Amino acid sequence: MTSTAVITGASRGLGLALATELSQRGWRLVVDARDAGRLDSAVAGLPRPDLVTAVAGDVADPAHRAALAAAAGDSLDLLVNNASALGPTPLPPLADLPPAALEDLLRTNTVAPLALVQAVLPALRRAGGTVVSLSSDAAVEPYPGWGGYGASKAALDLLTAVLAVEDPALRVVAVDPGDMATDMHAAADPGADPADLAAPGDVARALLRLLDGDLPGARVRVGDLEVAR
Amino acid sequence: MTAVAVPMGAEATEPPERRGLARDGVRLMAVRPGSLTHARFSDLPGLLEPGDLVVVNTSATLPARLTARRADGTDVPVHVSTTLDDGTWVVEVRRPGDDGPETGLEPGAALALPGGVRLVLRTGFPDPTRPGRLWRAAADPAVAVPAYLARHGEPVRYRHLRGPLALDDVQNVYATEPGSAENASAGRPFTDRLLVRLLARGVPVVPLVLHAGVSSPELHEPPAPERYRVPEVTARLVTATRAAGRRVVAVGTTVTRALETVTGEDGVTRPGAGWTDLVLGPDRPARAVTGLVTGLHEPEASHLLLLEAVAGRDLVERAYAAAAGTYLWHEFGDSMLFLP
Repeated sequence: MTSTAVITGASRGLGLALATELSQRGWRLVVDARDAGRLDSAVAGLPRPDLVTAVAGDVADPAHRAALAAAAGDSLDLLVNNASALGPTPLPPLADLPPAALEDLLRTNTVAPLALVQAVLPALRRAGGTVVSLSSDAAVEPYPGWGGYGASKAALDLLTAVLAVEDPALRVVAVDPGDMATDMHAAADPGADPADLAAPGDVARALLRLLDGDLPGARVRVGDLEVAR
Repeated sequence: MTAVAVPMGAEATEPPERRGLARDGVRLMAVRPGSLTHARFSDLPGLLEPGDLVVVNTSATLPARLTARRADGTDVPVHVSTTLDDGTWVVEVRRPGDDGPETGLEPGAALALPGGVRLVLRTGFPDPTRPGRLWRAAADPAVAVPAYLARHGEPVRYRHLRGPLALDDVQNVYATEPGSAENASAGRPFTDRLLVRLLARGVPVVPLVLHAGVSSPELHEPPAPERYRVPEVTARLVTATRAAGRRVVAVGTTVTRALETVTGEDGVTRPGAGWTDLVLGPDRPARAVTGLVTGLHEPEASHLLLLEAVAGRDLVERAYAAAAGTYLWHEFGDSMLFLP
């Protein structure tokens, strides 16, 4: 039977790379992004667009999450919580982070992933599915400027770890993909040379190799895996 | 070839504003050969490319529904579909229960309309010898129809709607020239702001007029002849857009009908005005229109054949399959954008 995955934030970066790899494998995909035009173009470029349901919207919107869950159907093998907000740029020190911006970050990066897990939980349980939530080294290291984003990802890490012990039938993992050449990285660190950063496609393949085997724990650094170039 | 069979989904029974949505907050399904994306109507600018052209129908809706008293004393709705060049009216007399057109009428039948106007049915329309849902009728005394309807009429409505409508409910934001019996509802989700965003994206929006008659959705008949006007600037930009390899996106079947009426076998679109009885289908595919914004309507053959004439059968089948159960039907429902 065809496997099904939901991938959020799939029009660019790691989300698009994961969608490309899974589409290549013949998976049925449900993908989203806020920008409908960019999502539409991204889907048209996938290996099997005929197996893709693209739903434009914001993961912070409950109605949109319900639409994703409806599109996923009765049985879901993989949920990738990849869509993330970076917050205001240039990244401000916490002294200057507007509280409303922190609330937005938590809504998108912390609350939305859990709410999406809740929305698709019956389908995940039916398939013995996997939940992958994209985290960051900023969730564990106190980098100046990364307080809001890092806090939202640290909270996501903990939600993931607790889900893993509460629902042992599911495979639940938070993944720190390391620095990648993505639009988000460029927004956070405009000076970085993309050539020094991992390609999202390489990271996506390493991540899927990880998921093919037994998970080493509820939090994984892709940097600890072998990323084939 | 027959049109695809499509399942009906949920019905929109009132304007989206009464469901807590903005006009452009309804769903929009973008359908291309390589992809199918669920979006909101407000996402339209991002789904088109700079240089594409959007063509809208600026006909405004008249309150074309009157209450008439038959000779037997029964009150029935009468829908005024259009007026002809000789001043006679084209009307549909509804059954007392408003569940469809009254078909057992005879020439000479008289109806008492509000304001002391007497309406006498003359012959069938468009075929005088075969009366069906539409009649050619004479009003006595003769009245200026737009002003008369403004005073005595209300918007045409069908039974899937929850209640009466205000004229604003059935008016598109760019509507300028009164003359339609029913709203060209594909354009209803446009807002002032959305039009500005299209312009800023490099997508011009140009007008034509086609005064839409009544659709009589219960009967599944092809549309009757309708009055249209395609201005010179619109014809010129349509031809130029095609020549540049960009899309001509018609907003609705009325725009498609008008543009295709004035597009020759040479593919050139010329300005024109008059009456059109063009019905697109397998033997008359679209020549000018390469994109279509449309609502989801009664799955009657002529509507689907028009969609297929623009988008091809495969895209239409995929779109309706994806819409089943989740998209709302009718004039206040959701939308589809075909980009074949």
